[in-house]
Amino acid sequence: MFDFAEMKAALEHGKAAQVKEFAEKALAEGVGAEEILNEGLIAAMAVVGEKFKKNEVYVPEVLVAARAMYAGLDVLRPLLAKSGVKKAGKLVIGTVKGDLHDIGKNLVKMMFEGAGYEVVDLGTDVSPAKFVDAVRSERPDFLGMSALLTTTMPSMKSTIEALKDAGLRNHVKVLVGGAPVTSKYASEIGADGYAPDASSAVDVAKELVKGK
Amino acid sequence: MPRLIDLVRIAGRRLVVPLLGYPGAQLTCSSLKQNEFNPVLHCESICRLVDRFSPDAAFFMMDLSVEAGALGLPVRYPLYESPTVEEHPVRSLADLEAFKVLDPLDDALVQARIRAMELMKERLDVPRGGYVIGPFTLAGLLMGASELAMATITDPDLVHGVVGFCTDVCVRYARALAAAGADMIAILEPTATFLSPQAFDTFCGAYIRGLITEVTGNPGMTGAAPAGDVAGGTDATGGRAGAGARTATGTTDAADKADAAGVRNGSESAGIERTTGATGSASRANAPDIAGPRRADAMTPMMILHICGDTSHLVRNMCATGAHGLSLDSPVDFARAAREADPEVVLIGNVDPVGVMVQETPDGVRRAVRALLDMMEPYENFILSTGCDLPYETPFENIDAFMKEGRL
Ligand code: B1M
Repeated sequence: MFDFAEMKAALEHGKAAQVKEFAEKALAEGVGAEEILNEGLIAAMAVVGEKFKKNEVYVPEVLVAARAMYAGLDVLRPLLAKSGVKKAGKLVIGTVKGDLHDIGKNLVKMMFEGAGYEVVDLGTDVSPAKFVDAVRSERPDFLGMSALLTTTMPSMKSTIEALKDAGLRNHVKVLVGGAPVTSKYASEIGADGYAPDASSAVDVAKELVKGK
Repeated sequence: MPRLIDLVRIAGRRLVVPLLGYPGAQLTCSSLKQNEFNPVLHCESICRLVDRFSPDAAFFMMDLSVEAGALGLPVRYPLYESPTVEEHPVRSLADLEAFKVLDPLDDALVQARIRAMELMKERLDVPRGGYVIGPFTLAGLLMGASELAMATITDPDLVHGVVGFCTDVCVRYARALAAAGADMIAILEPTATFLSPQAFDTFCGAYIRGLITEVTGNPGMTGAAPAGDVAGGTDATGGRAGAGARTATGTTDAADKADAAGVRNGSESAGIERTTGATGSASRANAPDIAGPRRADAMTPMMILHICGDTSHLVRNMCATGAHGLSLDSPVDFARAAREADPEVVLIGNVDPVGVMVQETPDGVRRAVRALLDMMEPYENFILSTGCDLPYETPFENIDAFMKEGRL
């Protein structure tokens, strides 16, 4: 039996090279890629997310842990693709037009990846048209928008309107967040979900497609 | 050297200093971009704000891009929003070299800011404030904030190199602002908000401390022995910026030039009485008599450290930088901060600039101001302000309500 404890500790401490080695070692010992993903990477990232929520670790620690997670994912990805392991879902995410704050958005992205989702990151300053194009071409389960400025929040609404105009609104669940965004605002603009922080965002997404 | 706490004590009443800047463009019917580029207009916008609202001090418009722009990074200037830096190209210490050949003071927009401050000095008889970006935040603009955050763990040497270089840039600009007439300089360090207290001390606090020492010639409120009168231009070598931490070298010549400028301006301005505008405007009958200590040492600005966002976990560390004042944002519990802060360090804040000042009614503003004043009643080291810079569109009746309730 492969002991995941050390691998998880390495990920929590952001040791990318070690996580990669542990992933390779586990594979060599015959552990399945999906098990390594779930027991080694996803489980450890969830712990990091919880600690972040409780202020036990800060943004740099989370970013570095996520980077270590990617190092592990890189090892597993070809095998996961080959074995046809189903992704938890697909998210297209970006920071809205006029807004260049990307740290929160990056954390949300990493938490989703850490939870086994496929993520397409459109970056910052993303116009409604660009979100719509990505929804059309990527066919994601979720569209995530982040806004940190009160002045850029209305762009979330414009994007939702643009999705409607393009006939794509019912094809995707819209998730919104960012410091000035509230759950009240989210429902006012017709978003499907709101999350106050990155790890709850994953929970909200899961909740939205429950029973589907 | 005048300290902010002295100013507060001399006033004998609560000082009221909302972070006004952008709303001044409403009064001159101009765009923010015009104010960025035109120092006469910029000063006019600020003077009209002082006439209209009578704050106890006046800061110019906040801008987090001017230093990065001076280093050559691409900056976008929307008409009615603050300018933003669009690319963050630095990945290694070698990448930094390209920036070291530039003297940030040669940049036209830096000169426009310095000129705006000179004009404010001529026209305003309330203390004048300028802003300079913090070295950690400037490093975030050079490298990208997420990259910088990760590098604090994965490549500390790179972070020290970049933040050290940025400290030199900030020192140079801050000295020029002081020489131009800034009585207060607020260091804007938003990107530090996400650091742990320990990482803050290592990668930000140590450099802020160096910056303050270099600009004031004194390690500030909580420091050891003064390092000589750098600001007066007599000691150019009094400790490199970021003392106690590693710093980049390479702008020594630039720093010497700044000192020379400091001497020149210093001797010119020493003893000169401050004049008010041609109309005699921008002066107030009930202005607290705080000019005294400033005139005696007009070249040494009071240093304020401003960090937006929730900095509850950093209050003690921010005090340890030697800042004379901490300008803290609306998520911070001020009573708790006051219990933690050095009582000689003035806490400045923290009415919500958007949630209250833009989105509330005047009554809502009054209630928020009253609640804050009541809560801070036991504490002397407090200036009533907003948590951050007020947006362009802040309703004037809300600023009126803020000033009126603050002066009750
Ligand atoms: C899809 O579903 C979801 C679900 C959850 C989601 C989500 C999406 N997105 C986020 N979440 C949630 O999960 C994350 C993790 O748990 C959380 O993400 P956050 O992003 O909230 O949290 C991050 C992990 C850490 N937090 C941050 O990264 C933001 C911190 C603060 C201090 C901040 C920073 C660092 C910066 N800034 Co900016 N900045 C502030 C911020 C203060 C604050 N109160 O937030 C804020 C947001 N900034 C502000 C301003 C005004 C500005 N900033 C500006 C610039 C910058 C920096 C470049 C210096 C830097 C950004 C660096 C970067 N690359 O991101 C300028 C604008 C630039 C632009 N056009 O975008 C400028 C205009 C300043 C100026 N005068 O130039 C204020 C906005 C006021 C308002 N309400 O409109 C501000 C609140 C500070 C303040 N009090 O004034 C949750 O919100």
